[in-house]
Amino acid sequence: MEDELYLENIDEFVTDQNRIVTYKWLSYTLGVHVNQAKQMLYDYVERKRKENSGAQLHVTYLVAGSLVQNGHTCHKVAVVREDKLEAMKSKLATIASVHVYSVQKALLKDSAPLYNTDYDIVKTNLHNCSKFSAIQCAAAVPRTPAEAPQAQTTSARAGSQPPSDADAVSAPVVNGHAPSAAKQTSQQPKGIMEMFAAKAASKAHDANKETKPESKEAPGVSAASSKPPAKSSIMNNFFGKAAMNKLKVNSVPEQPKEEKEAVKPSVSVAEPESSLNVVVEKPGKKTESVKSQQKDKKSKMKRVDKSDNEEEREPENLKKKRKRIKQLQSDSSDEEADVPPSPAPEEEKAPSPPPVPALKAELEPVPTEVSAGGRKRKRKRVLKSKMFIDEEEGCMVTEKVYESESCTDSEDDFTKSKPPPPQKQPALPAKKELKEEKKNLKKGPAAANRANKQVSIMGFFQKK
Amino acid sequence: GQDVPVRKLCELQAGERCCVVGTLFKAMQLQPSILQEISEEHNLEPQPPLSKYIHPSDELILEDELQRIKLEGAIEVQRLVTGTIFAVYGCEQDDGKFLVEDHCFANLPPPLPWNGPSADRFVLLVSGLGLGSGSGESLLGTQLLVDVVTGQLGAEGGQSCAANISRVVLAGNLLSQNTQSRDTINKAKYLTKKTQAASVEAVKMLDEILLQLCTSVPVDVMPGEFDPTNYTLPQQPLHRCMLPLASAYATLHLVTNPYQADIDGVRFLGTSGQNISDIFKYSSMDDYLEILEWTLRAGHISPTAPDTLGCYPFYKSDPFILTACPHVYFCGNAPRFQSKLLQGDEGQRVLLVTVPAFSATQTACLVNLRNLSCQPISFSGFGAEDDD
Repeated sequence: MEDELYLENIDEFVTDQNRIVTYKWLSYTLGVHVNQAKQMLYDYVERKRKENSGAQLHVTYLVAGSLVQNGHTCHKVAVVREDKLEAMKSKLATIASVHVYSVQKALLKDSAPLYNTDYDIVKTNLHNCSKFSAIQCAAAVPRTPAEAPQAQTTSARAGSQPPSDADAVSAPVVNGHAPSAAKQTSQQPKGIMEMFAAKAASKAHDANKETKPESKEAPGVSAASSKPPAKSSIMNNFFGKAAMNKLKVNSVPEQPKEEKEAVKPSVSVAEPESSLNVVVEKPGKKTESVKSQQKDKKSKMKRVDKSDNEEEREPENLKKKRKRIKQLQSDSSDEEADVPPSPAPEEEKAPSPPPVPALKAELEPVPTEVSAGGRKRKRKRVLKSKMFIDEEEGCMVTEKVYESESCTDSEDDFTKSKPPPPQKQPALPAKKELKEEKKNLKKGPAAANRANKQVSIMGFFQKK
Repeated sequence: GQDVPVRKLCELQAGERCCVVGTLFKAMQLQPSILQEISEEHNLEPQPPLSKYIHPSDELILEDELQRIKLEGAIEVQRLVTGTIFAVYGCEQDDGKFLVEDHCFANLPPPLPWNGPSADRFVLLVSGLGLGSGSGESLLGTQLLVDVVTGQLGAEGGQSCAANISRVVLAGNLLSQNTQSRDTINKAKYLTKKTQAASVEAVKMLDEILLQLCTSVPVDVMPGEFDPTNYTLPQQPLHRCMLPLASAYATLHLVTNPYQADIDGVRFLGTSGQNISDIFKYSSMDDYLEILEWTLRAGHISPTAPDTLGCYPFYKSDPFILTACPHVYFCGNAPRFQSKLLQGDEGQRVLLVTVPAFSATQTACLVNLRNLSCQPISFSGFGAEDDD
């Protein structure tokens, strides 16, 4: 069933939508590993060619290999049209890999549209661009901005350590960057080397999610073995391993499966390693649709002069994901607490006075969180002035909207001093309690936004 | 031999054979001089930039702490450049010039212990990405490069080999020369109010490319001649605020130019090419690899700084003197790829690599750290016309 599904998808993309389907585009669109996407394209091409020999399908291939030029071997990686494929393959002394690069209806004059397709799809998926790639790097974890200035300070401290030769090539006095960079380089590669060594060594894989694609790839491998066998390679060749691999593929069909599993676990082992990432991304995605709007406005508000909002949303999303990982480990209940208040303020966007019970329901978790010792984030409903440039009219528009704002620790500290005194009287009647809680709420954002004009019925409570 | 006395210039006696050590100065007729340009008595037009400023009438002068003396004899005047530390053997003549019989340089610095990896590990050296050039030819090549390194291109074998790339070093000129145009200075303000500098777009593109690379491999980014950092050597790292997406990753290292690092136990030293191209301009040596080797033998990365190449005025210590011999010595933005393994007398093994400009040649260098070998890797798409 699944086999047919992706074939139909590719068919639709190529023929109906008249797209250029590159392996990368397919991988992102269908959410599959890049190797699987290449395999899919290959299957599709094969079937189409078998069924209907008059099909208007043009295929481009990627050929990588080495050739001897000017006395030394150099590697070439080239995208070629189908008609030039054989010519290119014959030029190369050893062929490291050949696979389908793209499938499209029209004949391409040059490779610029291929680049454009890939560029567009990568741009839309920038922050998880290596999700479907075959190489995962454990050290490549985005850091929060809190850590970034820390990195700066540690580098300044590292600079004062006994100067090695690395000091010699940096500016003498002020900049502590360069020596630390040299030091970091010596430390980090070791970590990564261990990671790579561990991956390459581990043949046994736990939590292998992708059994199905592997079974699919097994017939794919035998299909690949029917491709022209690679000639014997020089050992020092960079792609020598790949060529040797091909030889083995020819002789023993089972072994490539094993070897592929050796490489595949490099992906799937990384998956459990980054499974925390994946798991967290899923709840992240759930709430993302809810929170995306809030974050949008929040990021816009945080920078009053307009730098690029997209760029800020991206690292903030990353930051949020990073933070969520930590929080997921420490306190999962907070995640739950986050989700209910956020839909609640979503509905209360109208500047008209919110219904009291809803406010009360939302306030309940808020003060409990404040009194619970101030966790890192909480949702607050804040009246904010939102300024943006209206493109059609060409003017700046200021809107006052209620939006949910996530407060940080500093603001918690500030507001904590205010809530405790009112909260000292727990035996107040419900109305008064409500009043004071609203005061807490208003004082919090009021502290945050000094230029806050309330034009609502809430002003009645504040005057008290 | 030891019987030859080493003299200072002030102690020289005519006719006595001795050794003198000093710094070279080459008096060049065609050397661009700002004083000559603004001088009114000559009424000269500013000299257009030439590719080489050598002239047969150039003269070499040896300077030490106190004096200077003209050199003649068995030295190749055209080859040498200002700033080289030099020892000559000969004698002073009656006309006050020094007749050179032999000369020598500082020679290769002492070797470093070798801690290289035992398995195959690669470092990819790329330079001259040339983003923002306005022509999209090299963009596909750049994308292919990123795809190979991040493991998306290639079959399983190729991908597992690419997984052994432990570092990518971008050696300068990430932005193209076209981003350097300063027309906006000459135009009226109202015309240029809404226009952005070309480098802004280019830096955004760079950020995206770096983001893709950083998610799978540590990257060291060195600034180059056309990059938004200071002009004088040593160039400071690009500021991370310019690369908001990529600098969130710890795998991105913004480093200086020149750059020295220990990668997997192998000592790398290299520049973005300004020093070599400057020597190229002022000497008859044409081959970048030859110049690279020559700087290693002379014991100084950039002898022509600060005479013709902008450089911070160090006065107590010169950081460009080579005190230890690196294992890999590279320079970026060379016209073509070249590499050579140099063996020294004291057991030094240096791999010299000239990294070609990617925007022109679509070629990068892959260095194998295990055996210090280097291979070029080139990328290409297909165009409207037939490729050869």
